[in-house]
Amino acid sequence: MVDSIISSRDVNIFYADKQAIFGVDMDILPNKVTAFIGPSGCGKSTFLRAINRMNDLIPICYMEGCMTIGGQDIYAPEVDVVALRAQVGMVFQKPNPFPKSIFENVAYGLRIHKMAAAKSEMDDRVEWSLKSAGLWDEVHDRLDQPGNSLSGGQQQRLCIARAIAIEPKVILMDEPCSALDPIATAVVEDLIDQLRREFTIIIVTHSMQQAARISQRTAFFHLGNLVEFNDTKTIFTNPVDERTQNYITGRIG
Amino acid sequence: MENNPPEHIVAKFDKNLDKIKSVILDMGALVGTQIKDATALWFAFDEAEAARIRALDLQVNGMNSEVYARAEVLIVRRQPVALDLRETLAPINIASELERIGDHAKTLAKRAFLYTDERPAKEFFDLIAQMSNDVQQMLIDVLLAYSNSDIDAAARVREKDTAIDDAHKKMLRMVIAALSEGRNSEDLTTELVHMVLNSRNLERVGDHIVNIARFVNQIVEGHDLKATD
Repeated sequence: MVDSIISSRDVNIFYADKQAIFGVDMDILPNKVTAFIGPSGCGKSTFLRAINRMNDLIPICYMEGCMTIGGQDIYAPEVDVVALRAQVGMVFQKPNPFPKSIFENVAYGLRIHKMAAAKSEMDDRVEWSLKSAGLWDEVHDRLDQPGNSLSGGQQQRLCIARAIAIEPKVILMDEPCSALDPIATAVVEDLIDQLRREFTIIIVTHSMQQAARISQRTAFFHLGNLVEFNDTKTIFTNPVDERTQNYITGRIG
Repeated sequence: MENNPPEHIVAKFDKNLDKIKSVILDMGALVGTQIKDATALWFAFDEAEAARIRALDLQVNGMNSEVYARAEVLIVRRQPVALDLRETLAPINIASELERIGDHAKTLAKRAFLYTDERPAKEFFDLIAQMSNDVQQMLIDVLLAYSNSDIDAAARVREKDTAIDDAHKKMLRMVIAALSEGRNSEDLTTELVHMVLNSRNLERVGDHIVNIARFVNQIVEGHDLKATD
């Protein structure tokens, strides 16, 4: 039995007096892609953002319960949130490169976290990140051009390169392909599969087919509850809970 | 126990699945009639009727292709998962089992001309008629079980197959006994041997029906009884 990298115990999340997540216990395994699925408003993105404390940025949002990464309580008072987010990277729905060059987009995080002292080291790490994100061959001769001059799919891969440059343990992805065409989506999906060798990936997706294609574990959220969390194969072939079956088959439950 | 999941949000999805189901039910009804009519030929042979029953084979094969084609289109359009996927894939197998049942009915019809002159004793025909009635009833029951996603009814169908197997063994013993007497004409010997083949055809029909009953389980519960039971 492989130990989980992320564990939540009785996590409740509130937006002011409205409860969005109800007592979620979850163990996420390392080097797997875990998909969060569920209808809009089910709490999957809220729960995802609790994993790198992005919800801290919403004043009315607060959490109860315990969330650990590598055994460490990430909500403990002594935790440095900036350092935490270096461990838990995030890729968003809409590609959001900084208004800087392709090179600087990737180098930015390395600089603030002081992860590359010499220029040659910086060059190497940027190249490694872009190669890992499957973007190097397409941009190596125009690294000085603006990040937003790239196509949507390339921009999203640039954001992935930026996230992995600082070598996080975990990458959170919130509908990373929803703004991409099917070809760009396929490239990113292939990339996600490659990246799981080195990182633990959690992806929120509205596409059942995408969850079925790229994840090994799938969690179904409904009305703020974690209804079912199982191997992806089981979820999409023979789910245990009737609510899961009704959702994934598009039935009126 | 019937098992009816809620309707799909996309109503067309339900219509597509229902259409596949209705082709299976029509196909089942057709092969059931084929067996009934082929059995009747042994009691009153009619060349034209035998030809008609044989010709139904084309229609059965066409329905088999239709089930496959409809499942193919449904997969492309709806990307079914879980229960829906099983309700899409299982009919391909069920249609294939029904098609085989149709083949057995065709063979039974082909062989009926043998029994026009000298005939084996009535007891052989009684046993064959009983087997034929039993498999026809099993077929109706399994189609109902499939239609209602009723795994209890499917289990009862599987149990009934034992009676068909026993009847086939009984036929074998009766024919061996009759042949052992050694007083049969060449024609009668041939007819007796073919009685075993007829009984074997019906016994195989029972097995195909059992396979269909297993697919009902697979649809509802998601695992293959043939691999576990």
